[in-house]
Amino acid sequence: MRISIPPSWRTRIYRYRLTATKCKKCGRAAYPPSNICRYCGSREVEFIDLIDEKARLITWTIIYSAMEGFEEKRPVVLGILETVNTKARVMAPLTDTTPEELRVGLMMEPVLRRIINEGGHGLIHYGVSYRPLLKSTS
Amino acid sequence: MLPEENTGIVGWGSYVPRWRITLEEIVETWGFNPEQPKELRVVEKSVAGVDEDAVTMAWEAARNALARAGVNPKEIGAVWFGTESKPYAVKPSATIIAEALGITPNAMATDWEFACRAASEALRTSIGVVASGLIKYALVIGSDTAQANPGDVLELTASSAATALVIGRREEAAAYFEASASYVTDTPDFWRRDNSRYPLHGEAFTGEPAYFKHIIGAVKALFAKTGLKPSDFDYAVFHQPNGTFPIRVAEILGFTKEKVLPGLVTPLIGNSYNSSALIGLSKILDQAAPGQRILLAPFGSGAGSDAFSIVVTDKVMEKRDKAPKVEDYLNRKQLISYALYAKYRRLINRID
Ligand SMILES: [Zn+2]
Repeated sequence: MRISIPPSWRTRIYRYRLTATKCKKCGRAAYPPSNICRYCGSREVEFIDLIDEKARLITWTIIYSAMEGFEEKRPVVLGILETVNTKARVMAPLTDTTPEELRVGLMMEPVLRRIINEGGHGLIHYGVSYRPLLKSTS
Repeated sequence: MLPEENTGIVGWGSYVPRWRITLEEIVETWGFNPEQPKELRVVEKSVAGVDEDAVTMAWEAARNALARAGVNPKEIGAVWFGTESKPYAVKPSATIIAEALGITPNAMATDWEFACRAASEALRTSIGVVASGLIKYALVIGSDTAQANPGDVLELTASSAATALVIGRREEAAAYFEASASYVTDTPDFWRRDNSRYPLHGEAFTGEPAYFKHIIGAVKALFAKTGLKPSDFDYAVFHQPNGTFPIRVAEILGFTKEKVLPGLVTPLIGNSYNSSALIGLSKILDQAAPGQRILLAPFGSGAGSDAFSIVVTDKVMEKRDKAPKVEDYLNRKQLISYALYAKYRRLINRID
């Protein structure tokens, strides 16, 4: 699977540091970032990084028929999480875990991982996945 | 006063993946002598997951080191990445890490190559550039998803882990450098050509003419330079390709086993190449008391070794709890089968 290089390059900082926007009017945070608040329409937003925030797992889905390029990650587990301080909703792959370990409310933390690996010759696209807290899986 | 004495370790941190495979499982798969794990004194080795590589592991180790350093990433003047398993043959790994950590763009960033010793030479160089005042801080990382030909004896120990050090001025350091020395020669003990997926090794060369000769050469050069002797050190950390070599080289040099054991991690996770000695240092900094002296002597095939004399300061106490310790990663483990390990490390040949 080939990913178009320019959009991947443009979004790298968002993907590496979980950059979100926080609305100065209604206070809500959005990821991926957006210049217009998707909750109240205000254009007064500031950029913040969510990479230091833990997050709670709200829901997840297990994908057994993974698309081309994701076979080695099967089953692919995608989660929707809410960060603990900013209360931003983030959709991201879940990693370092097995489906049996997941439950609603599970506290997780963001880590940099390979999101898409274009085979042995193409680019590697890095981004954030969430894993259970380090000490919770010991 | 040596230039080393102006510099020190301002932050340190490591990373070990969650997954482990027992040596017993590898022995069973390939029909090795069942006594082999005991001879190597290694029980399990760490395995990076399917979405991990030397860059992602380095990222987490570096985040831990930066948390302990407490410095603004923009003040890091160099990101030096030592590895022999870089994800791209051409395209720096160091820039990916620097970008992800917010260090870009006014910094040096380079990948270093010298088998398991790349990060060690980067460390000695970072002391020089920090002491000179050229840059304020250097981030030095050793990270490897070590490769071995399946069925080769190397496969029993080649593992995955990363360690990062922030080098800065002595006044801010959790441990300062007293002195350092290097010892390199052209030695055919281990190599990998462009088109090989896995390294080969010159069986007769791995022990005496490589590991022992170079480590002993570097440590003796350090002793000659400083007048220090083994009894002056509280800990000794050597490159740890297995659980026996570090204890033997310590014995030859006159260090007791007790000084080596606190930094000996290989029996639990295998040989993590560029992180092998450094994760031992990291574990010692997690527990050492102010005033204690550490000998660090990494080794890399090809071959070379560096010896560093490091003295712990009272700042170690306030920094220690600002990031997960090596022990936290050692305790987080889940055993996997040979099949899953083969998939995670892409030992299975498929069309992708
Ligand atoms: Zn709003």
